[in-house]
Amino acid sequence: MKLKELRKKLDNKEIGAVELTRENLDAIKGDVCNSYITVCEEEAISAAREAQLLIDSGKALPMTGIPVSVKDNICTKGIRTTCASKMLEDFIPPYDASVVEKLKSQKTVILGKTNMDEFAMGGSSQTSYFGGVKNPADTSRVTGGSSGGAAASVAAGLCAAALGSDTGGSIRQPSAFCGVVGLKPTYGRVSRYGLIAFASSFDQIGPIAKSAEDTGYILSAIAGRDENDMTARCGSEDFTALCGKLPKGLKIGLPKEFFEGSDPGIAAAVSEAAQSYKELGAELIECSLPSLEYAVSAYYLISSAEAASNLSRFDGVKYGHRSADGDSFMELIENSRSEGFGSEVKRRIMLGNYALSSGYYDAYYKNASRIRTKIKAEYDDIFSRCDIVLTPTAPTTAYPIGFQENDPVKMYTADICTVTANIAGLPSVSIPCGADENGLPIGMSLTGRYMDEKLIIAAADAFERL
Amino acid sequence: MISTEVTKHLAQLSRLSFKEDELAEMTNQMSDIIALMDKVCDFDNNVKTYAPKEEKFNNLRCDKPRNSYPTEEIIGNSKAVRDNCFVVPKVV
Repeated sequence: MKLKELRKKLDNKEIGAVELTRENLDAIKGDVCNSYITVCEEEAISAAREAQLLIDSGKALPMTGIPVSVKDNICTKGIRTTCASKMLEDFIPPYDASVVEKLKSQKTVILGKTNMDEFAMGGSSQTSYFGGVKNPADTSRVTGGSSGGAAASVAAGLCAAALGSDTGGSIRQPSAFCGVVGLKPTYGRVSRYGLIAFASSFDQIGPIAKSAEDTGYILSAIAGRDENDMTARCGSEDFTALCGKLPKGLKIGLPKEFFEGSDPGIAAAVSEAAQSYKELGAELIECSLPSLEYAVSAYYLISSAEAASNLSRFDGVKYGHRSADGDSFMELIENSRSEGFGSEVKRRIMLGNYALSSGYYDAYYKNASRIRTKIKAEYDDIFSRCDIVLTPTAPTTAYPIGFQENDPVKMYTADICTVTANIAGLPSVSIPCGADENGLPIGMSLTGRYMDEKLIIAAADAFERL
Repeated sequence: MISTEVTKHLAQLSRLSFKEDELAEMTNQMSDIIALMDKVCDFDNNVKTYAPKEEKFNNLRCDKPRNSYPTEEIIGNSKAVRDNCFVVPKVV
């Protein structure tokens, strides 16, 4: 059921907020996918009661009484926020992230905190300290990641919608693998205050839901300026305004490199989906993003460099895991970090320090930064001729658990279709557009101009209506 | 291929420690990862490094004093606290 329909049912008293919350909490009890790390039963029921009072007073806001899940790297006051890491296994934030504050101000019901790759570093949701997440479409397969728990919670009906975060595809790729819709907003559209930082120049919080319109509906609730995040510089608006009213003569760019690098079945399904836009009067334009071949390396160098810096705050002293061993101050820090972080997080910190260290900085970090400039320029060129860029979301569908998670290079290269939107800071939405021979969902991404979420949401919505 | 010495140096920079068998595995994995990263080394160095332009990060808040969080809440997540201070091994 779409959120707007759920809103109507709540407002018409066809369903109560507490009843709806209990239904979701009961469903979570039967979860076989390990979607949640923490379930907030008491807090959720209490929030639902408050929501019902607001509904009864006739003053309900768009998200009042809607039960949502929140990725476990988004701080929630008084509710543990682990980042799926031993390092933060029992960390209780003393404040809410701005997005959580915004949802709470509308009396949204937060059901719990969803599982993910440790510190959002991964594309499988198997690096979680709390165990991997299984794909509701086939529990022998991964959900993708890092917002795997969020995508699974939506796909399995364990919430009405979810908040995830996307640094290199972490909302869109699991959404594609699980057959739901995931939106990475423009960098700066949503406040990152209270999002535990991974790569600060790429990180962005966004919604995962059952329809494109729903993602716009949630984005309207969480977007906007924030005095605690200087990069959150635009106000909010109705991001569903163009749904059902897609402008005629839309120009859709198809960059050939994304299709050449994907499994043939996926390339064919996404191409077929693109063709269907012709029925809506759109024009398809073949285009190119020549620097795509550099994108994965540039992304991993920049994001890991930022991660190495951001994660240096975890020292076992102020909060987080503290080793029982360590005779000196430095030993305490080293032991706490070595015991608290998992393998993938350690690899990223090591890579980041490699890229930033003397003798390597110019060749690696600086060149990665040049590639970022080039990719941005290539997108600018495409958007001088096109309104939207259409690509596969991932080069494969969900693979079996254990298939490639232990091979970092394979894992990194699998991010090829998603990282450029983060590198260029552009909005991008992934929607299901078919299934492979095993019946597994295939995702298609629509990437838009800077701050033009409305158009990509409308285009995704139009595809759903076909 | 990077050497074990480079891995040890990176571990030191990263404030991480590895046992001998972990060090060998990490060296192998880092070698594979850096081979993938080598792709950027031949990129045209006439292109300017990235600097945000249209994203003018000027959303600064007013410079007004405001209440901070209570000390007890802030230090509540530390595993070792005494007299509202973090406890660490003796430094000097």
